[in-house]
Amino acid sequence: MVSEKFRHQLRQEVEQWQTEGLIDSLLYDRLAQRYQFNTLESAARNHFILILLGLGSILLGLAVITFVAANWQIWTKEVKVVLLLSLFMGINAAGFYLWRRPTERWQSRAGQSLLLLGSLVLGANLALMSQLFHLSGPAYELYLVWGIGVLAMAYSLRLTLLAVLAVILVALGYCSGFPNLYYSVDLSQLQPLLHHMPLFASIAFIPLAYWCRSRWLFGMSAILVVASLEANLLFVTFSLFDLSSGMAEIVAALSCTLPPALLWAYRDSIWERSPEATPRFDPIAKGIALTFLCLLFYILSFEWLWRNLPSPGFGEIPAEALPILLDALILGGFALYSWWKLGYQRSSIWRIDLMTTVVGAMILIAGSVVWLHWRIEPLGAIAIFVFNALLFLLEVGLIREALGTAKRGGFWLGVLLMVLHLMSRMLEYDTGLLFKAIVLFFCGVCVIAAGLWFERYVRVLART
Amino acid sequence: MTNPKPTWRFVLPLVFQTALILSIPAQAVYTHLSGQTVVLQTVPVDPYDLLRGYSQTLRYDISSAETLKLLPGWETVLTKQDNGEKALIDGTQLYVILQEPVSADNVSPPQAWIPIDISRDRPAELPDDRVALEGTAKNGQIQYGLETYYMPEDQRLSINQYIEETLVEAGGERPFVVEVKVDREGNSAAGSLWVGDREFRF
Repeated sequence: MVSEKFRHQLRQEVEQWQTEGLIDSLLYDRLAQRYQFNTLESAARNHFILILLGLGSILLGLAVITFVAANWQIWTKEVKVVLLLSLFMGINAAGFYLWRRPTERWQSRAGQSLLLLGSLVLGANLALMSQLFHLSGPAYELYLVWGIGVLAMAYSLRLTLLAVLAVILVALGYCSGFPNLYYSVDLSQLQPLLHHMPLFASIAFIPLAYWCRSRWLFGMSAILVVASLEANLLFVTFSLFDLSSGMAEIVAALSCTLPPALLWAYRDSIWERSPEATPRFDPIAKGIALTFLCLLFYILSFEWLWRNLPSPGFGEIPAEALPILLDALILGGFALYSWWKLGYQRSSIWRIDLMTTVVGAMILIAGSVVWLHWRIEPLGAIAIFVFNALLFLLEVGLIREALGTAKRGGFWLGVLLMVLHLMSRMLEYDTGLLFKAIVLFFCGVCVIAAGLWFERYVRVLART
Repeated sequence: MTNPKPTWRFVLPLVFQTALILSIPAQAVYTHLSGQTVVLQTVPVDPYDLLRGYSQTLRYDISSAETLKLLPGWETVLTKQDNGEKALIDGTQLYVILQEPVSADNVSPPQAWIPIDISRDRPAELPDDRVALEGTAKNGQIQYGLETYYMPEDQRLSINQYIEETLVEAGGERPFVVEVKVDREGNSAAGSLWVGDREFRF
């Protein structure tokens, strides 16, 4: 199916052709039928209605939660429980009924919104139950249980809307529960879920993204997987730094290499049974991998960071680090398998294209420098130079790649990153005001010139 | 456009979600039904000690390690650390044995139960006038899951005023006790809050 944007453009063009006499009305009708021009208006209207309905149900959900939190005291506990449960079930049942058997299109939309509202009411119910019975517990438990409940419904009904809500809830749960990894032992039964979040998110959300055929869902799930993996590995690194000398630098190097390696080599074809039916999510994974590398190189290019890094001590691996390392091990194995598969994608001997080679080399260099820094001796200036060079290489690569494909996003990301990089270095090191002024001036001129040049030549070239 | 999803695809997750909702109060309801009523003495949390928002944060005299240190079984809940010293580490599960005060029947306000022992394992047999309350060490304090008490927002002001008056009347005493239920396993659930001789139950 072609995109709606294309159909809009095509209709404009075709109407123009008809007035210019290039095509006759018969051909116009056939094109109009083939690309269903008559549904274009109603599709736009439906989008608008969907947004309104979604917004409305979120507001209604908030209203229910606030109403409940305002502590209505007229009924007894039993009545409140029954009332809350019937509200929850009623909204969900109405939503499902409308969504499953719609006689008109709006009913399906209204059904979806009601199901979304039902999922929000689930959270209100969970929160209120613990309040009614004076139970105190960490907030992240609520988010995780809520997210898992919504996830079950999303799987069963294959609803993208609910799946996105589930990702957000689980991510919120992970974020608010993360300090519990750091500060104190937590006896919550859900703490293992925080340790195994990378694996849980991969297993729970990635297949759902394919099933719902949603790019948004895939992107959000991939970010959750990588962000939780990174956060957990950094947690282990810094809890190991006081204890073990043998493992700390390996884990530190892993935290720099595993997330981008995992994402860059990720291919839909790993799961693919029939190539036609599987949606294409590789570019999203690659985009996140590049963003990760940009952030990593940018952060590691600062001088003060290398001066203030703690040095490893001696000791055992703490027990709470083991489940986290298990996740890293499994995902690491998957990353290796993906790279192995990647090499055999186009030929019978293992071979990767130039861009993949460059990215792979960058990841390896970053990991080795971090490892060497702690294993052999502090690298100081060498490490700072390497990461600045890597960042520069990445910027140039992004711009070059964008020029090749005439994509505006990559071009601007590269240019802006380069300016940010230059400015950071200039502000970091003690340079005179006049020099700062000159650098700023040239940055400004170069950005404007690059932008104008790109718009003028490359876009035109791409069009012809 | 129809979505020919069979009904079970909706009912199954709905049942699961309902089970999640009901699992939250299940333990508390069981404790309420089968548990024994125990009265706990509270201690001030902050200088003003009034209600904030619509919940009251409660601390008990058995929340602090200082009180429990004096009990006979204190050594059993400590863990030997790397430096050889014994300390109460976070996450340790323990049981505080409370005894009913003598002549506590039908006194209003009820008298607080007295902590007499502490142990790492749950005692197998206890006489009728004693209970074992389960707690967990966290940040140098013991938590029992009874630390938050929710109140109706519209009654907050009047309750606050009453607390203030009672505190002034009582002088140095602290006339704040909480009635809780404790079941055989040591689980507890909050019941009512006593301020002076008035009972609040929400």
